[in-house]
Amino acid sequence: MSSPGNFQSTWTMPLLLALLTLFGLLAALLGTGVWHALAWLALLVPIGTGLRYSLWPNARGLTGRTKSDGPSRSDHR
Amino acid sequence: MKMQAMRGWAAVHKWSSLVCTAFLLIICLTGLPLIFSDEIRAWQEPHIYDPMPAGTTATSLDVLAQAAHTLYPGEVVTSIYMDDDEPQAYVWLAPTFEALERDPPSQHYLRFDSRTGKLLERSQRLSEEPMGFMTWMRRLHTDWFAGLAGELFLGFMALLFVVAVVSGTVLYGPFMKKQAFGSVRTGRSARLRWLDLHNLLGIVTLVWASVVGFTGLVNELSTPLFALWQRTDVQELLTPYHGQPQATRESLAGPQAALDAAQAGAPGVHFGSVIFPGSPFGSPHHYVLWGKGDSPLTSRMFRPALIDARNADVTALPEMPWYLRALQISRPLHFGDYGGMPLKWLWAVLDLITVVVLGSGLYLWIARRKTQALRTAQTKDTTEVRP
Repeated sequence: MSSPGNFQSTWTMPLLLALLTLFGLLAALLGTGVWHALAWLALLVPIGTGLRYSLWPNARGLTGRTKSDGPSRSDHR
Repeated sequence: MKMQAMRGWAAVHKWSSLVCTAFLLIICLTGLPLIFSDEIRAWQEPHIYDPMPAGTTATSLDVLAQAAHTLYPGEVVTSIYMDDDEPQAYVWLAPTFEALERDPPSQHYLRFDSRTGKLLERSQRLSEEPMGFMTWMRRLHTDWFAGLAGELFLGFMALLFVVAVVSGTVLYGPFMKKQAFGSVRTGRSARLRWLDLHNLLGIVTLVWASVVGFTGLVNELSTPLFALWQRTDVQELLTPYHGQPQATRESLAGPQAALDAAQAGAPGVHFGSVIFPGSPFGSPHHYVLWGKGDSPLTSRMFRPALIDARNADVTALPEMPWYLRALQISRPLHFGDYGGMPLKWLWAVLDLITVVVLGSGLYLWIARRKTQALRTAQTKDTTEVRP
Protein backbone atom coordinates (compact mmCIF):
# COMPACT_ATOMS: atom_id res chain seq x y z
CA MET A 1 0.00 0.00 0.00
CA SER A 2 2.72 2.46 -0.87
CA SER A 3 1.63 4.84 -3.60
CA PRO A 4 -1.97 5.98 -4.01
CA GLY A 5 -2.01 4.70 -7.58
CA ASN A 6 -1.16 1.29 -6.33
CA PHE A 7 -3.84 1.41 -3.72
CA GLN A 8 -6.38 2.48 -6.27
CA SER A 9 -5.67 -0.28 -8.76
CA THR A 10 -5.73 -2.90 -6.02
CA TRP A 11 -8.96 -1.80 -4.46
CA THR A 12 -11.12 -0.45 -7.29
CA MET A 13 -12.68 -3.78 -8.22
CA PRO A 14 -13.07 -5.11 -4.64
CA LEU A 15 -14.72 -1.85 -3.63
CA LEU A 16 -17.05 -1.89 -6.61
CA LEU A 17 -18.06 -5.48 -5.92
CA ALA A 18 -18.52 -4.71 -2.23
CA LEU A 19 -20.83 -1.81 -3.02
CA LEU A 20 -22.82 -3.89 -5.50
CA THR A 21 -23.22 -6.68 -2.94
CA LEU A 22 -24.30 -4.22 -0.29
CA PHE A 23 -26.78 -2.66 -2.67
CA GLY A 24 -28.15 -6.09 -3.59
CA LEU A 25 -28.58 -7.23 -0.01
CA LEU A 26 -30.36 -4.02 0.99
CA ALA A 27 -32.46 -3.55 -2.17
CA ALA A 28 -34.05 -6.97 -1.67
CA LEU A 29 -34.68 -6.18 1.98
CA LEU A 30 -36.12 -2.70 1.63
CA GLY A 31 -37.89 -2.94 -1.71
CA THR A 32 -40.19 -5.16 -3.67
CA GLY A 33 -40.83 -5.84 -7.34
CA VAL A 34 -38.19 -4.21 -9.51
CA TRP A 35 -35.86 -3.78 -6.51
CA HIS A 36 -35.74 -7.54 -6.15
CA ALA A 37 -34.71 -7.88 -9.78
CA LEU A 38 -32.04 -5.19 -9.30
CA ALA A 39 -30.83 -7.01 -6.20
CA TRP A 40 -30.45 -10.27 -8.14
CA LEU A 41 -28.51 -8.52 -10.88
CA ALA A 42 -26.28 -6.72 -8.39
CA LEU A 43 -25.44 -9.95 -6.58
CA LEU A 44 -24.77 -11.73 -9.85
CA VAL A 45 -21.86 -9.37 -10.58
CA PRO A 46 -19.47 -10.50 -7.79
CA ILE A 47 -20.46 -14.12 -8.38
CA GLY A 48 -19.91 -13.81 -12.12
CA THR A 49 -16.62 -12.00 -11.62
CA GLY A 50 -15.33 -14.68 -9.26
CA LEU A 51 -16.41 -17.53 -11.50
CA ARG A 52 -15.09 -15.93 -14.66
CA TYR A 53 -11.55 -15.50 -13.33
CA SER A 54 -11.61 -18.87 -11.56
CA LEU A 55 -12.82 -20.95 -14.47
CA TRP A 56 -11.13 -19.11 -17.34
CA PRO A 57 -8.03 -17.59 -15.76
CA ASN A 58 -6.29 -17.10 -19.07
CA ALA A 59 -9.12 -15.59 -21.04
CA ARG A 60 -8.48 -12.05 -22.21
CA GLY A 61 -10.80 -9.11 -22.21
CA LEU A 62 -13.36 -7.97 -19.66
CA THR A 63 -12.43 -5.64 -16.88
CA GLY A 64 -9.84 -5.93 -14.22
CA ARG A 65 -6.67 -5.86 -16.31
CA THR A 66 -6.01 -2.32 -15.33
CA LYS A 67 -2.68 -2.62 -13.61
CA SER A 68 -0.64 0.33 -14.72
CA ASP A 69 2.59 -0.53 -12.99
CA GLY A 70 3.30 -3.96 -14.36
CA PRO A 71 2.63 -6.46 -17.07
CA SER A 72 -1.03 -7.13 -17.63
CA ARG A 73 -0.49 -10.87 -17.50
CA SER A 74 1.28 -11.88 -14.37
CA ASP A 75 2.57 -15.18 -15.80
CA HIS A 76 4.60 -13.25 -18.32
CA ARG A 77 6.85 -12.14 -15.54
CA MET B 1 2.10 -1.91 5.40
CA LYS B 2 4.78 -2.43 7.98
CA MET B 3 6.21 -5.90 8.06
CA GLN B 4 5.44 -6.32 11.72
CA ALA B 5 1.80 -5.32 11.36
CA MET B 6 1.47 -7.66 8.46
CA ARG B 7 2.88 -10.56 10.43
CA GLY B 8 0.34 -9.78 13.10
CA TRP B 9 -2.55 -9.77 10.66
CA ALA B 10 -1.27 -12.96 9.08
CA ALA B 11 -1.20 -14.63 12.48
CA VAL B 12 -4.73 -13.41 13.23
CA HIS B 13 -5.91 -14.72 9.86
CA LYS B 14 -4.22 -18.06 10.33
CA TRP B 15 -5.43 -18.79 13.82
CA SER B 16 -8.97 -17.47 13.50
CA SER B 17 -9.38 -19.49 10.30
CA LEU B 18 -7.78 -22.63 11.64
CA VAL B 19 -10.05 -22.77 14.65
CA CYS B 20 -13.29 -22.09 12.81
CA THR B 21 -12.78 -23.71 9.39
CA ALA B 22 -13.96 -27.23 10.24
CA PHE B 23 -17.10 -25.88 11.91
CA LEU B 24 -17.68 -23.37 9.13
CA LEU B 25 -17.47 -26.11 6.51
CA ILE B 26 -20.20 -28.03 8.34
CA ILE B 27 -22.20 -24.82 8.73
CA CYS B 28 -21.93 -24.09 5.00
CA LEU B 29 -22.91 -27.61 3.99
CA THR B 30 -25.86 -27.85 6.38
CA GLY B 31 -26.85 -24.30 5.49
CA LEU B 32 -27.29 -25.25 1.87
CA PRO B 33 -30.50 -27.29 2.33
CA LEU B 34 -31.66 -24.84 5.02
CA ILE B 35 -31.79 -22.06 2.40
CA PHE B 36 -34.51 -24.07 0.70
CA SER B 37 -36.21 -25.35 3.85
CA ASP B 38 -39.64 -24.00 2.87
CA GLU B 39 -39.49 -25.68 -0.52
CA ILE B 40 -38.14 -28.94 0.90
CA ARG B 41 -40.82 -29.06 3.57
CA ALA B 42 -43.56 -28.39 1.04
CA TRP B 43 -42.14 -31.21 -1.08
CA GLN B 44 -41.73 -33.65 1.83
CA GLU B 45 -45.18 -33.02 3.25
CA PRO B 46 -47.45 -31.31 0.79
CA HIS B 47 -50.37 -29.61 2.51
CA ILE B 48 -53.64 -29.99 0.68
CA TYR B 49 -56.66 -27.88 1.51
CA ASP B 50 -60.33 -28.12 0.66
CA PRO B 51 -61.25 -25.57 -1.97
CA MET B 52 -63.08 -22.64 -0.41
CA PRO B 53 -64.25 -19.36 -1.88
CA ALA B 54 -61.52 -16.72 -1.69
CA GLY B 55 -61.82 -14.39 1.26
CA THR B 56 -63.51 -16.94 3.52
CA THR B 57 -63.08 -15.60 7.03
CA ALA B 58 -61.05 -17.46 9.59
CA THR B 59 -62.67 -19.58 12.29
CA SER B 60 -62.63 -18.02 15.74
CA LEU B 61 -59.50 -18.91 17.69
CA ASP B 62 -61.82 -19.71 20.62
CA VAL B 63 -63.30 -22.55 18.56
CA LEU B 64 -59.84 -23.94 17.81
CA ALA B 65 -58.72 -23.69 21.44
CA GLN B 66 -61.96 -25.36 22.57
CA ALA B 67 -61.47 -28.17 20.07
CA ALA B 68 -57.98 -28.72 21.44
CA HIS B 69 -59.28 -28.81 25.01
CA THR B 70 -61.91 -31.34 24.04
CA LEU B 71 -59.28 -33.62 22.53
CA TYR B 72 -56.83 -33.19 25.42
CA PRO B 73 -58.88 -32.24 28.47
CA GLY B 74 -56.00 -32.76 30.90
CA GLU B 75 -53.58 -30.46 29.06
CA VAL B 76 -53.09 -26.73 28.54
CA VAL B 77 -53.15 -24.81 25.29
CA THR B 78 -49.87 -22.89 25.24
CA SER B 79 -50.08 -20.97 21.97
CA ILE B 80 -51.82 -20.64 18.64
CA TYR B 81 -49.90 -19.88 15.46
CA MET B 82 -51.71 -18.70 12.35
CA ASP B 83 -49.91 -19.15 9.06
CA ASP B 84 -49.66 -16.29 6.57
CA ASP B 85 -49.13 -18.33 3.48
CA GLU B 86 -51.49 -21.23 4.00
CA PRO B 87 -54.97 -21.39 5.56
CA GLN B 88 -53.75 -23.28 8.58
CA ALA B 89 -53.47 -22.72 12.31
CA TYR B 90 -51.37 -24.66 14.79
CA VAL B 91 -52.67 -25.07 18.32
CA TRP B 92 -49.84 -26.04 20.65
CA LEU B 93 -50.46 -28.01 23.84
CA ALA B 94 -48.36 -29.21 26.76
CA PRO B 95 -49.14 -31.34 29.83
CA THR B 96 -48.73 -28.22 32.01
CA PHE B 97 -46.94 -24.88 31.67
CA GLU B 98 -44.35 -26.12 34.19
CA ALA B 99 -43.73 -29.17 32.02
CA LEU B 100 -43.28 -26.91 29.00
CA GLU B 101 -40.67 -24.87 30.82
CA ARG B 102 -38.85 -27.89 32.23
CA ASP B 103 -39.09 -30.06 29.15
CA PRO B 104 -40.02 -28.14 25.97
CA PRO B 105 -40.16 -31.31 23.83
CA SER B 106 -43.18 -32.42 25.88
CA GLN B 107 -45.32 -30.14 23.72
CA HIS B 108 -47.27 -31.17 20.67
CA TYR B 109 -49.64 -29.53 18.21
CA LEU B 110 -52.92 -29.84 16.39
CA ARG B 111 -53.08 -28.41 12.90
CA PHE B 112 -56.43 -27.00 11.79
CA ASP B 113 -57.81 -25.58 8.60
CA SER B 114 -58.09 -21.99 9.77
CA ARG B 115 -61.18 -21.33 7.63
CA THR B 116 -63.29 -24.36 8.53
CA GLY B 117 -61.78 -25.39 11.85
CA LYS B 118 -61.34 -28.89 10.48
CA LEU B 119 -58.60 -30.89 12.22
CA LEU B 120 -55.89 -31.68 9.65
CA GLU B 121 -53.08 -33.15 11.68
CA ARG B 122 -52.27 -34.40 15.18
CA SER B 123 -48.60 -34.40 16.02
CA GLN B 124 -46.86 -36.60 18.54
CA ARG B 125 -45.01 -34.98 21.39
CA LEU B 126 -41.89 -33.39 19.95
CA SER B 127 -39.82 -35.78 22.07
CA GLU B 128 -41.45 -38.71 20.28
CA GLU B 129 -41.31 -37.28 16.77
CA PRO B 130 -38.61 -38.92 14.69
CA MET B 131 -35.93 -36.42 13.83
CA GLY B 132 -36.24 -35.56 10.16
CA PHE B 133 -33.44 -34.68 7.75
CA MET B 134 -34.14 -30.96 8.00
CA THR B 135 -34.09 -31.03 11.79
CA TRP B 136 -30.69 -32.72 11.63
CA MET B 137 -29.46 -30.04 9.29
CA ARG B 138 -30.81 -27.27 11.50
CA ARG B 139 -29.35 -28.67 14.70
CA LEU B 140 -25.93 -29.25 13.09
CA HIS B 141 -26.12 -25.73 11.72
CA THR B 142 -27.17 -24.00 14.92
CA ASP B 143 -26.46 -25.84 18.17
CA TRP B 144 -24.96 -29.29 17.68
CA PHE B 145 -27.76 -30.78 19.79
CA ALA B 146 -26.37 -28.93 22.80
CA GLY B 147 -28.95 -26.16 23.24
CA LEU B 148 -27.69 -22.83 24.50
CA ALA B 149 -24.11 -24.05 24.99
CA GLY B 150 -24.00 -25.16 21.37
CA GLU B 151 -25.51 -21.88 20.18
CA LEU B 152 -22.91 -19.86 22.03
CA PHE B 153 -20.10 -22.08 20.82
CA LEU B 154 -21.12 -21.84 17.17
CA GLY B 155 -21.74 -18.12 17.70
CA PHE B 156 -18.11 -17.85 18.75
CA MET B 157 -17.11 -19.74 15.61
CA ALA B 158 -19.10 -17.18 13.59
CA LEU B 159 -17.18 -14.42 15.36
CA LEU B 160 -13.89 -16.08 14.45
CA PHE B 161 -15.10 -16.37 10.87
CA VAL B 162 -15.79 -12.63 10.76
CA VAL B 163 -12.32 -12.01 12.20
CA ALA B 164 -10.87 -14.28 9.51
CA VAL B 165 -12.75 -12.38 6.78
CA VAL B 166 -11.58 -9.00 8.08
CA SER B 167 -7.96 -10.07 8.55
CA GLY B 168 -8.01 -11.75 5.15
CA THR B 169 -9.17 -8.49 3.60
CA VAL B 170 -6.37 -6.56 5.31
CA LEU B 171 -3.86 -9.03 3.88
CA TYR B 172 -5.41 -8.84 0.42
CA GLY B 173 -4.00 -5.35 -0.13
CA PRO B 174 -0.25 -5.98 0.18
CA PHE B 175 -0.74 -9.35 -1.38
CA MET B 176 -2.25 -7.99 -4.57
CA LYS B 177 0.16 -5.10 -4.88
CA LYS B 178 1.90 -6.49 -7.93
CA GLN B 179 -1.04 -8.42 -9.30
CA ALA B 180 -3.93 -7.40 -11.48
CA PHE B 181 -7.37 -8.03 -10.04
CA GLY B 182 -8.50 -11.54 -10.76
CA SER B 183 -5.18 -12.90 -11.90
CA VAL B 184 -4.89 -16.60 -11.24
CA ARG B 185 -1.40 -17.91 -11.87
CA THR B 186 -1.94 -21.30 -13.40
CA GLY B 187 1.47 -21.94 -14.88
CA ARG B 188 3.37 -22.68 -11.72
CA SER B 189 2.57 -24.66 -8.61
CA ALA B 190 -0.89 -25.84 -7.64
CA ARG B 191 -0.41 -24.05 -4.36
CA LEU B 192 0.09 -20.70 -6.05
CA ARG B 193 -2.98 -21.26 -8.17
CA TRP B 194 -5.07 -22.06 -5.10
CA LEU B 195 -3.64 -19.09 -3.28
CA ASP B 196 -4.82 -16.80 -6.08
CA LEU B 197 -8.21 -18.51 -6.14
CA HIS B 198 -8.49 -18.13 -2.36
CA ASN B 199 -7.76 -14.42 -2.65
CA LEU B 200 -10.05 -13.89 -5.61
CA LEU B 201 -13.06 -15.81 -4.28
CA GLY B 202 -12.50 -14.40 -0.83
CA ILE B 203 -12.56 -10.81 -2.04
CA VAL B 204 -15.60 -11.18 -4.33
CA THR B 205 -17.63 -12.72 -1.49
CA LEU B 206 -16.28 -10.32 1.14
CA VAL B 207 -19.44 -8.39 1.91
CA TRP B 208 -21.77 -11.37 1.66
CA ALA B 209 -19.56 -13.50 3.92
CA SER B 210 -19.23 -10.66 6.45
CA VAL B 211 -22.97 -10.05 6.53
CA VAL B 212 -23.95 -13.70 6.75
CA GLY B 213 -21.22 -14.38 9.30
CA PHE B 214 -22.13 -11.46 11.51
CA THR B 215 -25.89 -12.06 11.31
CA GLY B 216 -25.19 -15.72 12.09
CA LEU B 217 -23.46 -14.60 15.25
CA VAL B 218 -26.40 -12.36 16.18
CA ASN B 219 -28.87 -15.18 15.52
CA GLU B 220 -26.92 -17.47 17.84
CA LEU B 221 -27.42 -14.87 20.57
CA SER B 222 -31.20 -14.90 20.29
CA THR B 223 -31.75 -16.93 23.47
CA PRO B 224 -29.81 -14.59 25.79
CA LEU B 225 -31.16 -11.49 24.00
CA PHE B 226 -34.78 -12.55 24.49
CA ALA B 227 -34.02 -13.51 28.09
CA LEU B 228 -32.57 -10.05 28.66
CA TRP B 229 -35.70 -8.42 27.28
CA GLN B 230 -37.95 -10.65 29.40
CA ARG B 231 -36.00 -9.73 32.52
CA THR B 232 -35.96 -5.99 31.89
CA ASP B 233 -38.69 -4.46 29.71
CA VAL B 234 -41.24 -7.23 30.15
CA GLN B 235 -40.77 -7.36 33.92
CA GLU B 236 -41.39 -3.63 34.04
CA LEU B 237 -44.67 -4.04 32.15
CA LEU B 238 -45.67 -6.79 34.60
CA THR B 239 -44.93 -4.80 37.77
CA PRO B 240 -48.54 -3.66 38.27
CA TYR B 241 -49.64 -7.29 38.24
CA HIS B 242 -47.28 -8.45 40.99
CA GLY B 243 -49.07 -10.43 43.64
CA GLN B 244 -52.15 -11.04 41.55
CA PRO B 245 -53.23 -14.64 41.27
CA GLN B 246 -52.86 -16.17 37.84
CA ALA B 247 -56.06 -16.22 35.84
CA THR B 248 -57.81 -19.57 35.74
CA ARG B 249 -58.94 -20.98 32.46
CA GLU B 250 -62.56 -20.12 33.20
CA SER B 251 -61.75 -16.45 33.81
CA LEU B 252 -59.76 -15.97 30.61
CA ALA B 253 -61.06 -13.60 27.97
CA GLY B 254 -60.22 -16.05 25.20
CA PRO B 255 -57.69 -15.87 22.37
CA GLN B 256 -60.07 -14.37 19.80
CA ALA B 257 -60.91 -11.42 22.06
CA ALA B 258 -57.20 -10.93 22.63
CA LEU B 259 -56.51 -11.01 18.90
CA ASP B 260 -59.31 -8.54 18.16
CA ALA B 261 -58.07 -6.18 20.88
CA ALA B 262 -54.49 -6.29 19.60
CA GLN B 263 -55.60 -5.81 16.02
CA ALA B 264 -57.70 -2.80 16.98
CA GLY B 265 -54.86 -1.35 19.06
CA ALA B 266 -52.25 -1.68 16.31
CA PRO B 267 -53.99 -1.40 12.95
CA GLY B 268 -50.80 -1.55 10.84
CA VAL B 269 -49.69 -4.77 12.45
CA HIS B 270 -50.79 -8.22 11.36
CA PHE B 271 -50.85 -10.52 14.39
CA GLY B 272 -49.99 -14.13 13.69
CA SER B 273 -49.49 -15.83 17.01
CA VAL B 274 -51.01 -15.86 20.48
CA ILE B 275 -49.03 -17.04 23.51
CA PHE B 276 -51.41 -18.05 26.27
CA PRO B 277 -51.28 -16.67 29.82
CA GLY B 278 -48.97 -18.77 31.97
CA SER B 279 -46.67 -19.87 29.19
CA PRO B 280 -42.98 -19.56 30.05
CA PHE B 281 -42.66 -17.73 26.73
CA GLY B 282 -45.38 -15.23 27.63
CA SER B 283 -46.79 -13.55 30.70
CA PRO B 284 -48.77 -14.99 33.63
CA HIS B 285 -51.41 -12.26 33.26
CA HIS B 286 -51.54 -11.61 29.52
CA TYR B 287 -52.07 -13.04 26.16
CA VAL B 288 -48.86 -12.12 24.35
CA LEU B 289 -49.43 -11.65 20.64
CA TRP B 290 -46.77 -11.34 18.01
CA GLY B 291 -47.39 -9.47 14.83
CA LYS B 292 -45.53 -7.94 11.97
CA GLY B 293 -45.89 -4.87 9.80
CA ASP B 294 -46.90 -4.71 6.18
CA SER B 295 -43.92 -2.98 4.54
CA PRO B 296 -41.01 -5.08 3.23
CA LEU B 297 -38.90 -4.06 6.21
CA THR B 298 -41.49 -4.07 8.98
CA SER B 299 -42.79 -7.44 7.81
CA ARG B 300 -39.50 -8.73 9.19
CA MET B 301 -39.79 -6.85 12.47
CA PHE B 302 -41.99 -8.71 14.92
CA ARG B 303 -43.91 -6.67 17.43
CA PRO B 304 -45.56 -7.89 20.60
CA ALA B 305 -48.86 -6.89 22.18
CA LEU B 306 -49.70 -7.62 25.80
CA ILE B 307 -53.43 -8.14 26.23
CA ASP B 308 -54.92 -8.47 29.71
CA ALA B 309 -55.85 -12.11 30.21
CA ARG B 310 -59.17 -11.43 31.97
CA ASN B 311 -60.72 -8.43 30.25
CA ALA B 312 -58.78 -8.33 26.96
CA ASP B 313 -57.70 -4.71 27.47
CA VAL B 314 -54.54 -3.67 25.68
CA THR B 315 -51.92 -3.45 28.43
CA ALA B 316 -49.02 -2.53 26.20
CA LEU B 317 -47.81 -2.47 22.61
CA PRO B 318 -44.14 -2.22 23.49
CA GLU B 319 -41.49 -1.12 21.03
CA MET B 320 -38.74 -3.67 20.72
CA PRO B 321 -35.36 -2.67 22.15
CA TRP B 322 -32.53 -2.05 19.70
CA TYR B 323 -30.87 -5.40 20.29
CA LEU B 324 -34.00 -7.32 19.37
CA ARG B 325 -34.50 -5.16 16.29
CA ALA B 326 -30.94 -6.03 15.34
CA LEU B 327 -31.73 -9.69 15.88
CA GLN B 328 -34.87 -9.48 13.76
CA ILE B 329 -33.13 -7.77 10.88
CA SER B 330 -30.36 -10.34 11.15
CA ARG B 331 -32.72 -13.18 10.36
CA PRO B 332 -33.54 -12.44 6.70
CA LEU B 333 -30.00 -11.23 6.05
CA HIS B 334 -28.74 -14.58 7.27
CA PHE B 335 -31.38 -16.86 5.75
CA GLY B 336 -31.54 -15.22 2.31
CA ASP B 337 -35.27 -15.84 2.21
CA TYR B 338 -36.32 -12.27 1.51
CA GLY B 339 -35.93 -11.84 -2.22
CA GLY B 340 -37.72 -14.68 -3.94
CA MET B 341 -36.30 -17.89 -5.35
CA PRO B 342 -33.50 -16.21 -7.34
CA LEU B 343 -32.07 -14.77 -4.12
CA LYS B 344 -32.08 -18.25 -2.58
CA TRP B 345 -30.13 -19.61 -5.54
CA LEU B 346 -27.66 -16.73 -5.30
CA TRP B 347 -27.32 -17.53 -1.59
CA ALA B 348 -26.61 -21.16 -2.46
CA VAL B 349 -23.92 -20.21 -4.99
CA LEU B 350 -22.29 -17.79 -2.56
CA ASP B 351 -22.42 -20.50 0.09
CA LEU B 352 -20.62 -22.91 -2.25
CA ILE B 353 -18.02 -20.29 -3.15
CA THR B 354 -17.43 -19.85 0.57
CA VAL B 355 -16.85 -23.60 0.82
CA VAL B 356 -14.14 -23.22 -1.83
CA VAL B 357 -12.59 -20.31 0.08
CA LEU B 358 -12.58 -22.33 3.30
CA GLY B 359 -11.31 -25.47 1.61
CA SER B 360 -8.56 -23.66 -0.27
CA GLY B 361 -7.53 -21.90 2.92
CA LEU B 362 -7.21 -25.23 4.66
CA TYR B 363 -5.31 -26.65 1.70
CA LEU B 364 -2.92 -23.70 1.72
CA TRP B 365 -2.20 -24.27 5.36
CA ILE B 366 -1.74 -28.00 4.92
CA ALA B 367 0.44 -27.31 1.89
CA ARG B 368 3.08 -26.53 4.39
CA ARG B 369 3.83 -22.94 3.78
CA LYS B 370 3.07 -20.91 6.81
CA THR B 371 0.83 -18.02 5.90
CA GLN B 372 3.20 -15.71 7.65
CA ALA B 373 6.22 -16.63 5.55
CA LEU B 374 4.08 -16.49 2.48
CA ARG B 375 2.71 -13.02 3.00
CA THR B 376 6.06 -11.52 3.83
CA ALA B 377 7.71 -13.20 0.89
CA GLN B 378 5.07 -11.74 -1.41
CA THR B 379 5.95 -8.15 -0.56
CA LYS B 380 9.45 -8.85 -1.80
CA ASP B 381 7.92 -10.38 -4.90
CA THR B 382 9.99 -13.48 -4.57
CA THR B 383 7.21 -15.97 -4.15
CA GLU B 384 7.53 -19.33 -5.68
CA VAL B 385 11.00 -19.21 -7.00
CA ARG B 386 11.13 -22.80 -5.88
CA PRO B 387 8.52 -25.37 -6.90
